[in-house]
Amino acid sequence: MLIGFTVFTLGPVIASLYLSLTHYEIAVAPVFVGLDNYKQLLNAQLFWEVVGNTFYYAFLYVPLSVGVSLALALLLEKKIRGITFFRTVYFLPVVTSMVAAAIIWTWIYNGDIGLLNYLLSLVGISGPKWLQDPHWALPAIAIMSVWKNAGYNMMIFLAGLANIPTDYHEAARLDGASAFDRFRKITLPLISPVLFFVLVVTTIGAFQVFEQTYVMTNGGPGTSTLTLSYYIWQTAFSFFNLGSASALGYLFFVIVLLMTAIQFQVRKRWVYQS
Amino acid sequence: MSNKTRSAGGTAWRKVARYLLLVALALIMLGPFLWMIVTSLESPEVLVQFPPQFIPRSPRFSNYKEVFGELPIATFFFNSIKISVLGTIGEVIAASLAAFAFARMEFRGKRWLFSLLLATMMVPFQVTMIPVYMIMRWLGWLDSHASLIVPHFFGGAFASGAFGVFLLRQFFESIPKELEDASRIDGASRFRFFTTILLPLSKPALAVLSLFVFMGIWNDLLTPVLFLSTEEKMPLTFGLAVLETVQHNFRYDLLMAGTLMSVAPILILYVFAQRYVTDAFLRAGVKG
Repeated sequence: MLIGFTVFTLGPVIASLYLSLTHYEIAVAPVFVGLDNYKQLLNAQLFWEVVGNTFYYAFLYVPLSVGVSLALALLLEKKIRGITFFRTVYFLPVVTSMVAAAIIWTWIYNGDIGLLNYLLSLVGISGPKWLQDPHWALPAIAIMSVWKNAGYNMMIFLAGLANIPTDYHEAARLDGASAFDRFRKITLPLISPVLFFVLVVTTIGAFQVFEQTYVMTNGGPGTSTLTLSYYIWQTAFSFFNLGSASALGYLFFVIVLLMTAIQFQVRKRWVYQS
Repeated sequence: MSNKTRSAGGTAWRKVARYLLLVALALIMLGPFLWMIVTSLESPEVLVQFPPQFIPRSPRFSNYKEVFGELPIATFFFNSIKISVLGTIGEVIAASLAAFAFARMEFRGKRWLFSLLLATMMVPFQVTMIPVYMIMRWLGWLDSHASLIVPHFFGGAFASGAFGVFLLRQFFESIPKELEDASRIDGASRFRFFTTILLPLSKPALAVLSLFVFMGIWNDLLTPVLFLSTEEKMPLTFGLAVLETVQHNFRYDLLMAGTLMSVAPILILYVFAQRYVTDAFLRAGVKG
């Protein structure tokens, strides 16, 4: 275990820091170049575009995904008939591979003969070309990812909701509080620690979006769906610039850590502590 | 009285609305799966027509036979099973040994090591990917299944290993310490206690972990893409992804038949085990 941990995680973390300071193309030995890779990246317009795409994706995906998951959990919270059926169905996309999901949705998103545009045309909307349209490709990937992952966070929310004592709601109901008031004043504060956890994990996941772009768009059209994670992969294994890719990896790591740190800072303001 | 009936009517109406919403959402969640099935049974001529047909007029089950001729799907399948089964065995063994050490043994730096282990869950694979690739190249394991299987036996496989240790440690700690004392007094060694008492008692936790690990490996794309290159080594995910991205005009009916076959085992496994999965989530939720 310890060996595996050293060889496959700790060692590589350090090795990749060194590599990020070298000029290294797969066939030739690494040459130390100091901070050159970082300088080049930070001065390249493409890098900032990629960072922008990544943040835009997270901005679309995180609120939508967390919101949908919470809504699903609230709908299923009560002990109603068929709850197991619905819970199982909503979780099915989670256990499906992202590759399969991406293949199915590429077909659904097809601009000319796809199912989605057909359904939209029934209500009089002429849909965009989705994955072929630079403005719609990233939102399309975000929507598909929400479908794919919502069930996971739903389960975590359900666990959180199950821990809220029912007498709180009973008491509030007797006092005449509306359902919305009860949600805002009881449910939300009591699951805020769970909500916080879900937000942090979902944000980290959003920054790592890879398989969707790999299967659906290859970063295109143009650079419209080129996100950091995919760009690192491309730099390393399509352009074979391993030094620069390592530097990108570290910049990526720093961004993720910063985002997490910010979330922990803001935490005190809204997460309820009993 | 009248007040009471009104509120009862209100609840009934609300119940209907809730169910309508639940069913609509279930349709959205199931829709893409149903569409995959419909597409896999169409003929290629029908698929290029617009508007699309919702029910195949003459379902072509022969697509499922044809896909075996067009693609090395049997090989993909075999590779997926081999990698997933062996990887799962390795990871569960490694995780249970490590979890036993963290739960039941005292050694220097234990707390510190455990925190470090959990911290690895924070490291994105993109950071360690390149050195890990170089290690595999150095070992001569590129384009071989060893690169995908062996790391799981060392538990620290691509930062996912920490999760299993965490889950099992939690479970091991919930088993009374007196059991171990009793078996030690009876002369059993520590390892004997571990294999004959602790592990059998932990079956539910081991089952859930195995399920998660198996699904994780079966569904994984990134590591196969990183280490493998020849077609006859590819698991299903990689093989299908290549078809989708490289051969853009590959027949969608066959692609969907292949995709369906790749997700079916996992979906069936999940439907049978869903009770344990829910249980695992609720259990993990209790300690926050």
